[in-house]
Amino acid sequence: MEENLIYVEACEREEVIGILHPLVREWFFSKFKDLSLTQLYGVKRIWDRRNILISAPTGGTKTLTAFLGILNYLVSLSIKKELEDKIYAVYNSPLKALSNDIFVNLIRPLEEINELAKLKGIEMQEIRVGLRTGDTTASERAKMAKKVPHIFVTTPESLSIILTAPKFIENLRAVEFVIVDEIHAMANKRGVYLSLSLERLCDESLIEPVRIGLSATVAPLEEVAKFLVGFKDGKLRECLIAKVPLVKEVEIGLITPTEDILEAEDPENQKKLYKILDDLIQENRTTLIFTNTRAATERVVHHLDLHFPKKYVGLIGAHHSSMSKEKRFEIEEKLRNGELKVAVSSTSLELGIDIGSIDLVVLLRSPKGVARALQRIGRAGHMLHSNPRGKFIVLDRDDLVECGVLMKDMIEKKIDEVQIPKNALDVLAQQIYGMAISKIWNAEEMLRVIRKSYCYNELSKEDFYDVISYLAGDYALEHRNVYAKIWYNSESGEIGKRGKLARVIYLTNLGTIPEEGFISVEITMPAERRGQSVGKIDEGFLERLKKGDVFVLGGQKYQFMYTRGMKAYVRADVSRSPTVPSWFSEMLPLSFDVGMDIARFRGLVKERIKKKAECLKFIKEYLYVDDLAAQNIFRYFKEQEKFSEIPDNFTLVVEKFKQDKEYLLFHSMYGRRINDALARAYAFAAARLRMRDIEMGINDNGFYIAGESLDEKKIINSINSDNLESVLKEAIEKTDVLKRRFRHCASRGLMILRSYKGRTKSVGKQQVHSHFLLSAVKKISEEFPILREARREVLEDVMDIKNAVQILKWIEKGRMKIKVIRTPMVSPFGLNLYVQGHADFIRIEDKLKFLKRMHSLQMKVIGEDYD
Amino acid sequence: MIKFIGKCLLIESKKKILVIGDLHFGYGESLRKMGIMIPDRLFENLTLELNFILDSFEIDEVVILGDLKHEFGKILNSEWREINEFIDILLKRKKDVVIIKGNHDKITGIITEKRGILIKDFYIYEDIAFIHGDKDFKEIYKRDIKTWLMGHAHPAVKISDGNKEEKFKCFLDGKYKGRRVIILPSFFDINEGTDPREFDLGLAWKFELNKFKVKVVGEGIEVLNFGKLKEITYF
Repeated sequence: MEENLIYVEACEREEVIGILHPLVREWFFSKFKDLSLTQLYGVKRIWDRRNILISAPTGGTKTLTAFLGILNYLVSLSIKKELEDKIYAVYNSPLKALSNDIFVNLIRPLEEINELAKLKGIEMQEIRVGLRTGDTTASERAKMAKKVPHIFVTTPESLSIILTAPKFIENLRAVEFVIVDEIHAMANKRGVYLSLSLERLCDESLIEPVRIGLSATVAPLEEVAKFLVGFKDGKLRECLIAKVPLVKEVEIGLITPTEDILEAEDPENQKKLYKILDDLIQENRTTLIFTNTRAATERVVHHLDLHFPKKYVGLIGAHHSSMSKEKRFEIEEKLRNGELKVAVSSTSLELGIDIGSIDLVVLLRSPKGVARALQRIGRAGHMLHSNPRGKFIVLDRDDLVECGVLMKDMIEKKIDEVQIPKNALDVLAQQIYGMAISKIWNAEEMLRVIRKSYCYNELSKEDFYDVISYLAGDYALEHRNVYAKIWYNSESGEIGKRGKLARVIYLTNLGTIPEEGFISVEITMPAERRGQSVGKIDEGFLERLKKGDVFVLGGQKYQFMYTRGMKAYVRADVSRSPTVPSWFSEMLPLSFDVGMDIARFRGLVKERIKKKAECLKFIKEYLYVDDLAAQNIFRYFKEQEKFSEIPDNFTLVVEKFKQDKEYLLFHSMYGRRINDALARAYAFAAARLRMRDIEMGINDNGFYIAGESLDEKKIINSINSDNLESVLKEAIEKTDVLKRRFRHCASRGLMILRSYKGRTKSVGKQQVHSHFLLSAVKKISEEFPILREARREVLEDVMDIKNAVQILKWIEKGRMKIKVIRTPMVSPFGLNLYVQGHADFIRIEDKLKFLKRMHSLQMKVIGEDYD
Repeated sequence: MIKFIGKCLLIESKKKILVIGDLHFGYGESLRKMGIMIPDRLFENLTLELNFILDSFEIDEVVILGDLKHEFGKILNSEWREINEFIDILLKRKKDVVIIKGNHDKITGIITEKRGILIKDFYIYEDIAFIHGDKDFKEIYKRDIKTWLMGHAHPAVKISDGNKEEKFKCFLDGKYKGRRVIILPSFFDINEGTDPREFDLGLAWKFELNKFKVKVVGEGIEVLNFGKLKEITYF
């Protein structure tokens, strides 16, 4: 382990109380029984000005832990009348809707301390808290400019805005504390962005602020700690790690809604599911149900009402990200006030907004990761000393096995690992632009500051200057003037902003969250339903749709015909099965760690499969599940064993069968991200062998490739750990996923401006140009930085190339074996994957060759060429 | 004798006339206005293609059927420069140039300064009428006119083998009231165009496009006959 990362234990109670100012001490104990464990870990360390990462289960005392020491400090100063007009502490949270939490954790304590002081006749200077997010009004901002807050509460985006504000920045010259809350949710580009903003902040401040990270349960902690503190003079800054032990035992159970889980998939048995839900809801005061998609959220609310008419009126609420801000706030308020009996959410209620006290969390279908499951269940039982209670409800056999293993990992505290993107060039471009707007830089100095961030510590000079060159408009050749955002003088080494609109463009286009629009779906046929609006699908999903694809929305099947403007037109008179899974673009990928655990579990069951009683006993004990669940799992495995073979962590079973075409179905139990990489590589190899397009399908449990005729030996042998990366780079060239990610990167890298010269673009229009944009950029250079970043994002963030290479290495070393088995049709384990439909095609045949081929076919139909 | 050369038509009679469809200068500008900061090389590509054709065939006159400009409204000086340069290329090679007025007026002022340029609502040569396609004119119904050539529609066709689908630029070649009608694809490569089976092409007549022959633009100057539109399977 790095020498600058130090795990610490809880301090002695007296030690912590000893640092508290008498006023603060009195206030604290008038409100709380005692210091919490988290506070024993954190408060004194912060007081001692040590960088610290505090990881504790979701439970409401982390924020106060962070603030207590700071409040203590500020109160002491204010009583001594030494409080200056500057920002002492910057608090950062990814949640816009902070107001209520800040009120509870900061403003009210301050008010109460003030009252106490008044009672005691103690005079205090005013301690001010300022909140700035995307929702802060201009007048509020103006007020803050006049009366500088001592504690500045903000979001990553708003932070980077004030870093370019010439006057406001003066208030940040002596920041003493920086708090990064919900840091576990920053393992993505937003976190990368924040880490650069933090380094910019520290660069502006004349003193090095103490860094405090607040995290829910996450792994690996060291990685997150490094991300928090970054580097100084090439060396990792010191960071204490407080891993507050999960004192709260989580009470979890798993419910299979029907005797035979296969029946649960039958819509007739929906009744049973909703009866179970109803029972659970009635047994508790407030229940929170998590689904995995927005569509499912709507469906659950709708069906609860359907099955129990009038029972839930006014007592139930849906909460997901495509709802309006007002509606979401309304639900949150109602929850806080205990007015709702049940709330249903996709992922939006996972993060820390206070939602009052929840008695039970229901997880409908697998949450796909241990950390996420813990986070969700942790939303229950906010009372300091009650245990969170959660129930998994599974709806199919794969779900059952997955949740069983997940539950085991949760109970045994095996947290899956996050990955923080490194060297993201699009975020870098945006931040460099921001830096150039603040002042004129020396290029080497700028690079030095950038490299202090953990995410850019290994940024190459080449990449840095490539991005500078891009921002300076070099790619536009003679038209550089039009496209340049910065100027770079290679002789003097100076970088500055360009154009009068620079600041405006920056402010109106910053951010890392790609804008995803929603497209209304309207019916064209049958005639009597023409014009009917049936729901919305998101942009990502729409991009993948081809004419004729059949998908499910709100429980009904539709066939996609075309889009016009911001609407998608479909036919409702469909009898075909769905060809694409509707929730594909929203689907959370199963974490690799859990995938491996499932594979291991499979191996253990495989060993005992011949002895039913022993096997059942093993499953019950190993997974902590009941008889019914164990029976269902056993049956599922037995079927697979009879049909072909049970794949496990030592044997990667590949089934070959023929339906309309030849299929190779790989039972790679590694999670969708790795399967995506492997699938594309093998599909590409297969496509190249016969120069024909290959269909591929992927899910968490495996992948398949399909085509006219597949030579499995040749295909499998053509991919290895050395060539995987280069094969994938080629394979993704013409894919939808690259196009889409390119657009996101182009947006982040300010090549596509959401808002320009007062005109905001609709998402639909942005889409239309995707194809053109990508090909235009490729003509500039195959290694164009934004394009390079799009590829990196696809290979490392969307897929998981690192672990895919690892898998291939295991196979090469003999630790895992590939076993090809011929089957008459798809096996039980492969059914879900097969039925799901294709995820994509590997297009190897280029447009012109396709044209020639179609032409000769057409000639046969219409006869000789005539004119 | 009308020949199909890539995206253009070549009329080989006493005069050799090259007919070009819509051009869309100013696309780069319209992208930039939308905040898409990707420079297009459309002008350079166009010049290359055009020079290639001018080098490969004997041509006396060039008729441009379509919109020169991409958008209405203001346009940068640089875009005007491109249009002028383009016409200069033709004039330098001693070709006569006829521009059929599309749905825009602004070019009239600047272009009329140049010699050798004719701007017309419609143009008739022998038995052929050259029009834009958005407006009808009674003059083209004269008895001796046997062929109409037009742009405006950007015809394209979607071809699928049941699995994947691609869109290609194409000519639509058919009959209307006893006359031959040929609709040219757009010359520029911004996008393929519109498949008439999906959307209305916006032409001033109700043609029976299903019966029109589809001639797909292939590689280079290659044009492939796909038969009648109704014979191409639409998935």
